[in-house]
Amino acid sequence: MRYPSGEGLDRISLQVKRGEFVYLVGPTGAGKSTVLKLIYMEQKPSTGYVVVDRDNSNQIRESRIPFVRRKLGIIFQDFKLLDDRDVFENVAFALRVTAASPKEVKKKTLRALAEVGMSHRSRKMPEELSGGEQQRIAIARAIVNDPLILLADEPTANLDPKTSVAILNILDRVNARGTAVLMATHNYELVNYSNKRVVSIKNGRVIF
Amino acid sequence: MIHSAFFLIKEGLEGFRRARLSAAVATVTVTISITLFGVFLIITLNLSRYIDMLKNRMEIEVFLDDSFSDEKIQGIREQLSTIEGVRDVVFISKEMAIRAFHRLFEREPADYIEALGFNPLPASFRLKLEPNYLTSGQADRVVQRILAMDAIGAEDIRYDRRILLIIEKNVELAIVLGVIVGAIICLSALFLVSNNIRLIIFSRRKLIETMKLVGATPLFIQAPLFIQGVTQGFSGGLIASGFLYVIVVLSSMRVRNLIVVNPEVYPLMIILGAGLGLLGSLTAVRRYL
Repeated sequence: MRYPSGEGLDRISLQVKRGEFVYLVGPTGAGKSTVLKLIYMEQKPSTGYVVVDRDNSNQIRESRIPFVRRKLGIIFQDFKLLDDRDVFENVAFALRVTAASPKEVKKKTLRALAEVGMSHRSRKMPEELSGGEQQRIAIARAIVNDPLILLADEPTANLDPKTSVAILNILDRVNARGTAVLMATHNYELVNYSNKRVVSIKNGRVIF
Repeated sequence: MIHSAFFLIKEGLEGFRRARLSAAVATVTVTISITLFGVFLIITLNLSRYIDMLKNRMEIEVFLDDSFSDEKIQGIREQLSTIEGVRDVVFISKEMAIRAFHRLFEREPADYIEALGFNPLPASFRLKLEPNYLTSGQADRVVQRILAMDAIGAEDIRYDRRILLIIEKNVELAIVLGVIVGAIICLSALFLVSNNIRLIIFSRRKLIETMKLVGATPLFIQAPLFIQGVTQGFSGGLIASGFLYVIVVLSSMRVRNLIVVNPEVYPLMIILGAGLGLLGSLTAVRRYL
């Protein structure tokens, strides 16, 4: 995978198994986000392939990509919450696009909010919440569909250390429930305290 | 599926509410465009009604020599009736002609007859033509057939060919102008709706990006935009048809039957509005999404 600027990924081979927790570390611009984009098929590799469950990026039709993404949960450092609707509707949104019944939407949304400890804030608007709370909502939205894997792109980059640890604990809990987690971060300190698998990339290549 | 449909309709209408100002501006501009289109359509339709009325008054007059016997006149009448394109043949006797002359100049028929000692006006046949023969070309063909009859000479036939020519020339121009103006109005309404949907797409970039990330299909992302486009167009069409109705009623209060509007024009305005809304949103979605 290479951008017109010449930057990109080179001969990356990475496999994340079901239920695994993997840190993808590297400095800014190393290509961490590109790895995640390849997985959620926002971009396609120029050579090689990406397989998500049974969907291969080389063979997949464009119309199938939304269905691949329903097997994934994605969170970002800027949360990407919709500021025109409340917390409940932000989380429920991921279910509504899958044509879930209102009963199912309510049940799963309340469960996801409970998992991230935000049930009491369900009728608040995103702007009324702190950064940590907003990221919890983003996690709730990412897990509400029971994804196979949670892709987290620098989820703690905008948060203070204490809140970052709280977010990591939530991701741990999600992982313990059987969801694989692939978390991109440049925060080596955070990774050092963990006993998870670490994949380090630099200048588009895996260095260990 | 039904849950998705409800959600999409709600999202579409919510989007309308969220972008109140731009939606209102788009609806007002669509209303103005469709009202203009409607006014133009009504003028064109009524113009064509007046032209038809004018054409229907057109008749060919065949003057008869005073020496013709009743039998000969009857024979001519039968011959005229068989000519293709002739709808009606009316005989105007010398007496009827002088009475008509009197009505025109408000004098007693006896005045002229007394002054001259005889009735100078000839008897005639007035021929009405079938609607599709009311063109200069077809009328000429009918005249040629009449001239083929032995008893009638070229100087015995009168008809207002010039009016037909003027009408034909100007109707063509009016149709061309109508198509051009109508197309410009429709295109401007289309552009306005499309531009409004483009603005909505830009203002909802974040929402659209999130929809894509959580696995929304393209149709799911586009449907609320189509609903908004159609709602804008439909509302514009509805208000415009209301305006048109008021305009027609007000004009009829002054002069009865000045403007006659087929009632189907009103739902047509609404369908046109909704259609323009859908087409505008389709254009914007294809280009910007």
